[in-house]
Amino acid sequence: MREYLVLLKKELRSVTKEKTIILAIIVQFLIASLSSVILEGVMTFYDPNSVIWNANVTIRVGFVGNTDAPLLEYLRDRKILARPFSELATAEAVFHAGQIDAILSVPEGQSGPVNMELFLPKMEIKRTLILVMLDEPLKRYEDYLREANGVLVNYKNFDSKSFSTYEFLYTALIPILMLFPALVAGSIVIDSISEEFENKTFDTLISAPVSAGQVFAAKVSAAAITAVIQTLMWAGLLKLNGITIERLALVLVLAMSYTVTISFGAAIIALFFRDRQRAQFVYSMILITTGAASYFLNPSPLELLTKLSSGAPNISALGFILYMALPVAIGLIFFHLSGRRMLTSS
Amino acid sequence: MRLGFGGRSRFVILAIVLLALGASYIVYHQGMVTGKELYTVGVSFDGPVIQDPRFQVIRVDPDQAHIMLNQRALDAYVDGNGIIARSGDERSQYVKEALLSYLAKQDLLRIAEQYESNRAFPLRIEVVSLERPETELGIVTGQQPSQVTEPEEPPNPEQISGGESTPAVSGSLSEPALSVPDEIDAQVKKQLDTFEKGGLPKLSEALLSEPDIIIPSLTPPPMPLAQVMLVFSYVVPVLFVAVFFASSFTEERVSRRLVILLSTPVSSLQVILGKMLPYLVYSWIVITVMSLALGGNIPLSLAIFTPVALLIFSVYMIVALMYRTFRDLTLFSVLAVSFIMTYLVVPALLTGVSNLSYISPLTLAVEMYRGETIAAKEYFLATVPLYLIFFQALFIGTRVFNEEYLMGFKPLRVKMAEAINLAVDRNHLNLSAFLSNFFLLPIVFIIQLTSIIFVHNIPMPSSLWVLVIISAVVEELVKSAVLFVFLKNRIVKTKLGVMRLSALSALGFFSGEKLLLLLALAVLSKSAFTSAVFGGGLWVIPLVLHIVSTGSVGLVTQRLGTKYYPLAIAIGSVIHAAYNLYFIGVLG
Repeated sequence: MREYLVLLKKELRSVTKEKTIILAIIVQFLIASLSSVILEGVMTFYDPNSVIWNANVTIRVGFVGNTDAPLLEYLRDRKILARPFSELATAEAVFHAGQIDAILSVPEGQSGPVNMELFLPKMEIKRTLILVMLDEPLKRYEDYLREANGVLVNYKNFDSKSFSTYEFLYTALIPILMLFPALVAGSIVIDSISEEFENKTFDTLISAPVSAGQVFAAKVSAAAITAVIQTLMWAGLLKLNGITIERLALVLVLAMSYTVTISFGAAIIALFFRDRQRAQFVYSMILITTGAASYFLNPSPLELLTKLSSGAPNISALGFILYMALPVAIGLIFFHLSGRRMLTSS
Repeated sequence: MRLGFGGRSRFVILAIVLLALGASYIVYHQGMVTGKELYTVGVSFDGPVIQDPRFQVIRVDPDQAHIMLNQRALDAYVDGNGIIARSGDERSQYVKEALLSYLAKQDLLRIAEQYESNRAFPLRIEVVSLERPETELGIVTGQQPSQVTEPEEPPNPEQISGGESTPAVSGSLSEPALSVPDEIDAQVKKQLDTFEKGGLPKLSEALLSEPDIIIPSLTPPPMPLAQVMLVFSYVVPVLFVAVFFASSFTEERVSRRLVILLSTPVSSLQVILGKMLPYLVYSWIVITVMSLALGGNIPLSLAIFTPVALLIFSVYMIVALMYRTFRDLTLFSVLAVSFIMTYLVVPALLTGVSNLSYISPLTLAVEMYRGETIAAKEYFLATVPLYLIFFQALFIGTRVFNEEYLMGFKPLRVKMAEAINLAVDRNHLNLSAFLSNFFLLPIVFIIQLTSIIFVHNIPMPSSLWVLVIISAVVEELVKSAVLFVFLKNRIVKTKLGVMRLSALSALGFFSGEKLLLLLALAVLSKSAFTSAVFGGGLWVIPLVLHIVSTGSVGLVTQRLGTKYYPLAIAIGSVIHAAYNLYFIGVLG
C-alpha cells in the first residue's frame, strides 16, 4: 500500500509537473466557453424559438387588410409591433424608410383558404428572426381559421417549446460534460503506460520493490483522480450558470464509476498493444463501438446518467448497482492480466 | 509521405466530428434518439396512444394517477380532457409541454387525414423578398408596444433617399405576387409529406433554402445561423489534415530524421515547405470536395479557405517545433485551435448585422452562399492578418530549425525565449524590437477576441474586469517578450537601452494596432464603433500609455532580475488595466 501511495504521488506529480492537467483544464474551459456559443448554434438547430425568445428583440410589422382579424391581436400578444395600413403602397414606402421590418398583407373578401403575402427584407439574420417571431401568431391564426371551418382541433400547441432546451441539457450537455473527463483519462492512461514501454523505463521501475500491478494501479488512479476533479469542476460551473443536477452525489459517483471502468479498460488495451499509436487507435475504436452498443442496454449508461441528473422517477436501482460493480469487475480482470503479461514479457 | 500520426489528437478530432455527426443525427430525428424513457407519464384507459421512446407510459385510472403524481412517481398525466402536471414543479411542467407538443403533432396528422387540404390547412402565406438599403442593426429593441397604434406619419423623404443605393423592389407590388392555387396545393402536399416522415427536410436543403410558401403548422421555422454552421463544416476536414501534418512533423523530429535533413544542402525553409506542401494540397482537395458537395463556388472557396488553412498549419507547425511529445502536441494544438475556432466562428455569427463580422473569413463564405459579391477590401481585412501570421510562423520556424533547438527538452517558457532569441537579429536590436511587436499584433488580436468569448462564462460586471485584465496582461506580455529575452541574454544592460527598446516595442505594437484598425476602417466605415476608436486625442495618449507600461515592465525586470519578470508584468498590467478601466468609465 505504501509503495502504491508513493507511486500515485509520483504519477500525480508527473501529470501536474508538465502542466498537462492545468492545460487540459484550460482547454476544457475554452471548449466549454466555445460550446456555449456553439451550443447556441446547436440550440438553434434543435429549437430556433428558444434562442430568439431569450434575445429581447422587438420586430415591427406593417399589417395591410382587415384590422378586425384576430391575427392582429395575436401579433400584439407576441409583443410584435403591428402597425395597420390601409394600402400596401403606403406600407411599402414606410418599409423602405426603415420604419417597419416586414409587411403582412391579408387580402379581403376571399372564399376558401386564406392566402396571405409576407414581404420580408433580404438580409438573412433579420429575415430569420421575423419568420421565427411570426411562427406562433400564424399558428394560432391557422387554428382559428380551422375552427371557423368546422375542423375539430384537440390539442393546441403554439409556443411550448422550452422543453427542448430541457431535453438538450439533460440528454446531451450534462452527460457530455460528465463523460468527457473520463474519455480523456483513458487516453492519459494509455499514454503513460505505453510511454514506460516505449522508453524502456518500465524495466527500471519494476526492478524497484514494487509490483507491476501497483505501478499500473497508480497510473490508473492518477488519471481517474484528475477526471473526478474535472467532473466536480463542471458541476460547479453548471451550478454557477443556474443549471441544477438533481441527484448530484449519485451522478458524480456514477460518473466516477464510468471513469474508473474506462481507465482500466484503457490500461488493458495499453498492456496488450504497448505502442502508443496502436493502443490509442484501438481505444478510440472500442470506445465508439461500446458507446454505440450500450444504447441498447436497459438502462443504458447514458440513460441512467440522464435520468439521475434530471430527477426522473422510477430509476432502476439494480441498473445503478450493476454499473457500480462494473469498475470492480474490469479492475479484477486488469490485475489478473497485468500479472500474466508481466510473466510472459520477461 | 506517410500518414502515420499520433493518436490522441486524432481521438480528440474524431470525438469532435462524432459529436457533430451525433448532433446532426439528433436534429434529423428531432430528439427521438436521446433521452430514451426520459419521461414517465400516466395515461387514462380511454386516453390517447403514445408511441415515442422518450415517454414511458403507464396506464392508470385518474384516482391512482393523482396519488402517483403527488408521490412523484409520474411526471404528468393525460386523460380525455387534457394534460395534468404538478403545479410549481419545473420538471413536471416541462414534461407537460413535451407531451403537448407530441399530442399536437399527432392531432395535426389526424386533421390532415380527416379533412380535405383546404380545410385542414386554411392559411397559406407567400413570402416575397424586398430589398432596402441596409441600416445598422435595424431591429428596434425594448420599444413599447403602445407606440404601434399612433397615427401614421408620412415617411420622411430624406430617409428614403438617404441610403447609398436607391431602394429596389425585387418582388414588385404592382404585379400579383400570388402563385396559382395549384402550385400552393402542391406545396401543401409536399410539406405534409415531409412532416409525416417526422424529420426535417434534407439537411443541406434546410440550410440553404427556405420555402416560398409557409403553411404555419407544417413549415418549420428557419434555422438562424444555419449558414455559419454550413461554412464551418469546411474548416473541420482542414483541421484533420493539419493534425496529420503536425503528427508527421513530430514523428520525423522524434526519430531524428529531420535533423539528418539539416546536414544536407537543403535549406530549412525548403524542408518546412516541403513537409507542408503535400498537406496543403490535401486541404485544397478537401476544400474543393466540400465546395462541390455543399454547392459552393470552388475558386472563391479556395480563396477564402486557403488563408484559414495556412493559419491552422502555422499553429500546428509552431507547436510541433516546440514540443517533442505527442501529449503536449495534442494539448497545445487543441488549445490553439479552440482559439482559432472562436476567432473564425464568432464574428461570422454577426454577418449582415455588423460590419465587424468581416474580420473572419467565414463571413466571406457566408456571403458567398448568399450570392453576394465580396469587395476586395473586405477580403483583405479578413485574410491579411492570417497571411501575416503564416509568414511569421514560417520565419520563426526557419530560425529555430537547428539540432539544438529541435532536440532540446525544456519547459515551454524557455523554448519560447529561445525561439525569440533565435528569431531576432542581434545586429539590429532597435529594428527587431519594433518589427517583432508590429508583427505579433494579429496574434494578440486573436487572443483578445477569444477572451471576450472566454469571459462569457462569468456574470456581467466582473466579466468586464476580467476582460480588461486579461487583455492588459496579454498586451504587456507580448510587448515585453523581446525585451525580456534581451535582458536575459544580457544583450541590453543599461537603463537607457531598456527605455529605448521599451519605447520602440511599444511604438511597434501601437503602429500595428493602428494599421490594423485603419484597414478595418476601410471596411467598417459605417460602424459607430470606429468613430469611438478614432475619436480625437486617442492617438497620443494610448501611445504614451504603451510606452509607460512597457517601460515599467522593462525597468523592473532589469532592476530585480529576470526572475522577477512575472512581477514586472503584473505591475505593467496594473498600469495598463487602470488606464483602460478609466477610459471605459469604470474607474474615476
